[in-house]
Amino acid sequence: MKVAILPGIRDGRIYRRQRASNAWRYLFLALVAAVMVFPFFWMIANSFNSKQGILSLPPNLVPDRLFTPEMFLNYQEVFGDYNFGRYLWNSLFVASLASLGQVITCATAGFAFGKMRFPGRNLIFGIILATMMIPTHATIIPEYILMFRLGWMNSYLPLIVPSFLIGTFGTFLFKVFFENAPMSLLEASVIDGASPGQVFSLVFVPLARGAIVTLLIIAFMNNWNDLLRPVLYITSRELMTSTLALTQFQSQYSTEWNLLITGAVVSTTPLLVMYAFLQGYIIEGVSHLGSKG
Amino acid sequence: MGFQAKLRWYRWYHPWLFLALALVGLVVFRLYPIVAALRYSFTAWDIMNEPVWLGLDNYRTIVSDPRYLSIVNNTIWFSAIYTVGVMVLGLALAMLLNARLKGITVFRALTYAPVVTSAVAVGIVWSWILSGRYGILNHFLELFGIDGPHWLGESNLALPTVATVQVWKMAGYYMTIFLAGLQEIPRNLYEAADIDGATGSQKFRSVTLPMLAPFTFFVLIIAVVDSFNNFEIIYSMTRGGPNETTTTMVYSVFLNGFVFYRVGFGAAVAFVLMSIVGVFTAINFWMRRRWAEPVES
Repeated sequence: MKVAILPGIRDGRIYRRQRASNAWRYLFLALVAAVMVFPFFWMIANSFNSKQGILSLPPNLVPDRLFTPEMFLNYQEVFGDYNFGRYLWNSLFVASLASLGQVITCATAGFAFGKMRFPGRNLIFGIILATMMIPTHATIIPEYILMFRLGWMNSYLPLIVPSFLIGTFGTFLFKVFFENAPMSLLEASVIDGASPGQVFSLVFVPLARGAIVTLLIIAFMNNWNDLLRPVLYITSRELMTSTLALTQFQSQYSTEWNLLITGAVVSTTPLLVMYAFLQGYIIEGVSHLGSKG
Repeated sequence: MGFQAKLRWYRWYHPWLFLALALVGLVVFRLYPIVAALRYSFTAWDIMNEPVWLGLDNYRTIVSDPRYLSIVNNTIWFSAIYTVGVMVLGLALAMLLNARLKGITVFRALTYAPVVTSAVAVGIVWSWILSGRYGILNHFLELFGIDGPHWLGESNLALPTVATVQVWKMAGYYMTIFLAGLQEIPRNLYEAADIDGATGSQKFRSVTLPMLAPFTFFVLIIAVVDSFNNFEIIYSMTRGGPNETTTTMVYSVFLNGFVFYRVGFGAAVAFVLMSIVGVFTAINFWMRRRWAEPVES
């Protein structure tokens, strides 16, 4: 068969068709890229407009403060007067603890499901899967009342604890991973006298490095971008996360679009930079969910 | 395998130690809220006073009061636009990006960038682009002599506009899933079609679509359930307005629970939402078992 195909590919007719279709493809790709990138470009560009510049008609294609000494004035205001550095730090703190916790919860549970047998194993895993798709928004009212009764209002506990303890996708990811991990590793370490805790932490955790990083990144991003819980639970200014600060900003300074958009740039940049460096892990995780979840 | 059965490397309580965190999470933050939401949904409760038993009244209101019927309606419209949008665009993008071309990974990365951006930032930037007077979109349309509307200010336009922005945000996610599906289609099927002289659209209809069908079905279910995740984008773009035309059920849970203090009613809306998700989850499980059986057993 291969012999039959090879001359065909070298045949000029097909080759030319291939080249023409590539040209079309690049054209479409350029169009797609423009639609995807333009809002980001427009966001960054407008962060260099003054309050008057951003309201000029027709819109400034070149921002009025670009390459002037006042170019970064919006950023100075957002970080200085509006204390955005603090909100970024808060987001980093909350998202780090929540995602770290989620990895611990999911890895340990995934290990139990993947490598151990116990009564009710399939039932419990089934219940976890069955509740996987229920959005947080649907269970938020009882959760709020629970947090209220626990006295956790206006603290980071309601932002961290639920994410710490719930991670269906992660549990699933680790279950599959540990199931497929070779039994011989386990046997070798058990014969050496390792306890289950040691088997897990010394043999299987290092093995699961890729899955750990993938889940860590996805959970970090989800927590960084979360809005519902910060809106409900955080009332004092110094505890606000960056997404919450941005919406507060939106209601209070609705006319100062230049600052609002600068705030949007500031709150998304850390994640976009992170994404640029670690995208392989994210795509890996999502593809896995797509083909197996 | 035989060795595995003989080797007792843990005691009966070890699995439960490993499961402890996940079990606490499951019971406290998943199962309890489901039961509690059901209980609250039969009451009128403003948090301050004792709840009053209403029976099924809240549910009756949802299906008979025109105001809430229109919220159900908004939810269906939002979900329909979102689901069709991300499915079609996701598949189209995946087909476009499933090629060995120079720089293709850069294009893939670009389409995924909005997915990792917070809905709040996306909402703010698009609100600015779509602004009736200052927005760049309407000024662009003006070049072609089109008088652009106030996209987010008009009752009949706000919902499709917000849903479309959400499609823009999430298309890359579905592209990635479809891409994984496309890459699992055996290459030799396309080679065979090439030998038979099939054109691009023939290959799409007789190889890609049938091979992708079960996969597409699961993606569809993920997309429908995901379409209810619209609180963030609505909160940051329209806050449910104008005239409640962008108030979906998820947003209504938020409004009733935390703005109007009608906790019982909000819980009823939440429970309806959970039931819908439950039905889709059940379909997912059932179809998965049906399709998986011939392969596994």
